Amino acid sequence: MAVTDIVAAPAPSTRGTKKKLKASPVIFVIRKVATLLITLFFASLIVFFSRFILPGDPARFLLRGRSPNPAALAAITKQYGLDKPPVEQYLSWMGGILHGDWGRSLAYRQDVSEVLLARLPVTLELVALAAVFITVLGLAAGILASLNKGGWDRFILISVTAAGAIPPFVAAIALTALFSVQLGWFPSFGSGSGGLDRLWHLTLPSLALGVTYIAFMARVTRSSMNEQLTREHVEVATSRGLKPSAVVFRHVLRNAMAPILTVSGVLIAGLLVSSAIVEQTFGLAGIGGLLVQSIDRLDFSVVQAIVMIVVTAFVVANTIVDLIQPLLDPRIAAGTESR
Amino acid sequence: MSKLLEIEQFSMAFPGRGNLLSDVSLHVDDGEAVALVGESGSGKSLTTRAALGLFPETSRLSGSVKVSGLDTTTASGTKLLELRRNRASMIFQDPRAGINPVRTVGDFVTETLVRWRGLSRQEAEAQAVAQLEQVGLRRAKEMMRQYPHQLSGGMLQRVMIAAALLDSPELLLCDEPTTALDVTTQAGIVTLLREQQQARGMGMLFITHDLNLAGSLCDRVYVLRKGEVVEHGGSRQVFTSPQADYTRQLIAATPSIDIDKVPAVPVQDDQSPLLRVEGLCRRYTLPGGEILNALNNASFTLAKGGSLGVVGESGSGKSTLARMIVALETPDAGELEVSGRPRAHRALKAGERKLLAKDVQIVFQDPYLSLDPRIPVGKAVADVFRLHQGQTRSAALQSARELLDRVGIGPERFESKPRALSGGQRQRVAIAKALAARPKLLVLDEATSALDVSVQAQVLELVEELRDQLGLTILFVTHDLAVVSRLCSELLVLRDGVIVEQGSTAQILGAPASEYTRTLINSRPQLLWQDQPV
Repeated sequence: MAVTDIVAAPAPSTRGTKKKLKASPVIFVIRKVATLLITLFFASLIVFFSRFILPGDPARFLLRGRSPNPAALAAITKQYGLDKPPVEQYLSWMGGILHGDWGRSLAYRQDVSEVLLARLPVTLELVALAAVFITVLGLAAGILASLNKGGWDRFILISVTAAGAIPPFVAAIALTALFSVQLGWFPSFGSGSGGLDRLWHLTLPSLALGVTYIAFMARVTRSSMNEQLTREHVEVATSRGLKPSAVVFRHVLRNAMAPILTVSGVLIAGLLVSSAIVEQTFGLAGIGGLLVQSIDRLDFSVVQAIVMIVVTAFVVANTIVDLIQPLLDPRIAAGTESR
Repeated sequence: MSKLLEIEQFSMAFPGRGNLLSDVSLHVDDGEAVALVGESGSGKSLTTRAALGLFPETSRLSGSVKVSGLDTTTASGTKLLELRRNRASMIFQDPRAGINPVRTVGDFVTETLVRWRGLSRQEAEAQAVAQLEQVGLRRAKEMMRQYPHQLSGGMLQRVMIAAALLDSPELLLCDEPTTALDVTTQAGIVTLLREQQQARGMGMLFITHDLNLAGSLCDRVYVLRKGEVVEHGGSRQVFTSPQADYTRQLIAATPSIDIDKVPAVPVQDDQSPLLRVEGLCRRYTLPGGEILNALNNASFTLAKGGSLGVVGESGSGKSTLARMIVALETPDAGELEVSGRPRAHRALKAGERKLLAKDVQIVFQDPYLSLDPRIPVGKAVADVFRLHQGQTRSAALQSARELLDRVGIGPERFESKPRALSGGQRQRVAIAKALAARPKLLVLDEATSALDVSVQAQVLELVEELRDQLGLTILFVTHDLAVVSRLCSELLVLRDGVIVEQGSTAQILGAPASEYTRTLINSRPQLLWQDQPV
């Protein structure tokens, strides 16, 4: 067949791409992980040394109002290693972290890791539950809006814009007033005692925490879906007789995931930081509340530890997003992605 | 023979935009190939999509579109699904946009088989591989696991055809299936479509803007203009004795190779050439570390007042060459001289660039992208006068007005933003912008390929006129041999970055020395009733 001859000669670019794909995934992962480590290193530098440019002497704080006795001051300074040169302090701090030792809290007179371990689970659960709400409600609202042009779209867009403007503490008060004071469905205070009780206690806080992000997620989902819906491959799929639901699931949602995922990565840090306010409002003993207290008390080792955890969570989440992207869109792995 | 597709008095209107289609009637019989020819905006895509019940939202319909008796304008969703699954399939213009880029080729091809024909994955895959091989794709098994971006455009279009054929449709709708492809690739796809259509006895509706292509594939032709059928009949009859004025214009505007009309090579006087290229190379390093020789050891000269056509398919390096001449790319090796000034092997400094711009100007392919959407066209041209001729604001505006008038843009358009102009008008503005610098050499990079044939003809005429009146030297980069044969006295054929043939246009087209040039010439659509070339 004459037709075959023309196709037989493979385009040079095709050959090149294939060769590259074999070596690429390993290099891709290594490069991403290396970037992660370098970012964390620089973040740790900033986190640690920013203490030296902030006002206030932690040792004085420990003496709380008592008249500063120079001898006692010197003793405390020595005890916490505050007299050594900054670089040496950094190295011992970093070395400690790598062994799981985050230093001692000035205010609690305990190891930082103990203080954190008591509080971290609540925050993580809060953030995780909020993430579930954001994903489920945000995606659902976005998909619904993009697939139902007209009334529904406008309704969702307006309510989502309004919801996006509500700060977490207002949402917290409003939700408490409605669901725990008026209706009495959910508790308004405390973190409960594990299991379902914990879930029950965290529902309102996580909703309050997530409401801005649900709105954000819904908007991103909607616009990303709308963009994909106009693509020609969607029309092709329809023309081949795929059911509308199959078209959406196979050819729209999957393609629309990339921007949604990118945004999710950025949201993580925001959630951890905003959790401070929500924890305060609902009386939860999490690290958000602890962060605010510790800054107030110049408890620098706790502050550093929490900031480091937030930064790490952020960088790791974004690295994971970067690693998932090529699985969603093979063109990214090939480096030929063009959108 | 029964009527497979029957469109009767079909009109489509949008609120506020009037009728996009008015009273379109056409039919396709069993086993018949019918072409629907029209320029952009003629409604040919809307008509074809209507056969599958794909109507734009908010459109108002009247009349009927029947496929095997089922009227798609009133059919229920389930009936439409049944129609799309079993009776009619469509092949789209751009296979790269039409196949989901994040799923494998295999997933695309087997999708319909697995989802409702009830085949197991293995069975579906076996069928798909057989079908891919039948449409001329080798190593189909491997291809099933590849992603669309790993295949060439021609291969992807074959994949799309295979996917359409797997549903064994009675009616095959083709929406400009070769427009996004190279000429040689187009020839293969057209042969394949013709073979399959005849072997399976399918009815085929083939949409194109290219009359020659329609004539090379179809028995009957409908000519559509602004949503109305202006002429229909047997292909040969429409070609040889067109009834409607519009059809006559269209035939006249369709470029063809006519060796007698090739402009003669101007008499060479002994002055040095305007453009001299010697051993010019450009390499790109691909993301994978591989090296692509976009242009390899190119040497040629272009005398003052001459016209050179650079012809090649995508990836041949023709645009790289044009971009190097205007210093948008830096050569890796070799010499490039414009007006006797050698080009440095580095990015030019601002002053050097301005000096070069006085000699060389370029017009790009897509006038929709090459004009700043926020600047009125008059000001855009006046700015060039101020920059290169040092004219005052008012003098520049006056010069711009004269020049725009010269290229056929009247003073009433002077304050218009580009979006208010048609494609042809925009390209005229782009040409005027280039001419405002009073260049000696005008580089046209596929400057007419994004335009409709009738508009292309006007722009070509304009370039011809300018060449003759202003004594411009022209370098025309294109994939279309016919366009070159009309405009350029000399020709240079590029393939994969290498010059395969160069010389006078008449000589090359009359007696091509290289096998590739012959393939290019023969790949042009051959009308069904004409003898095959030897």
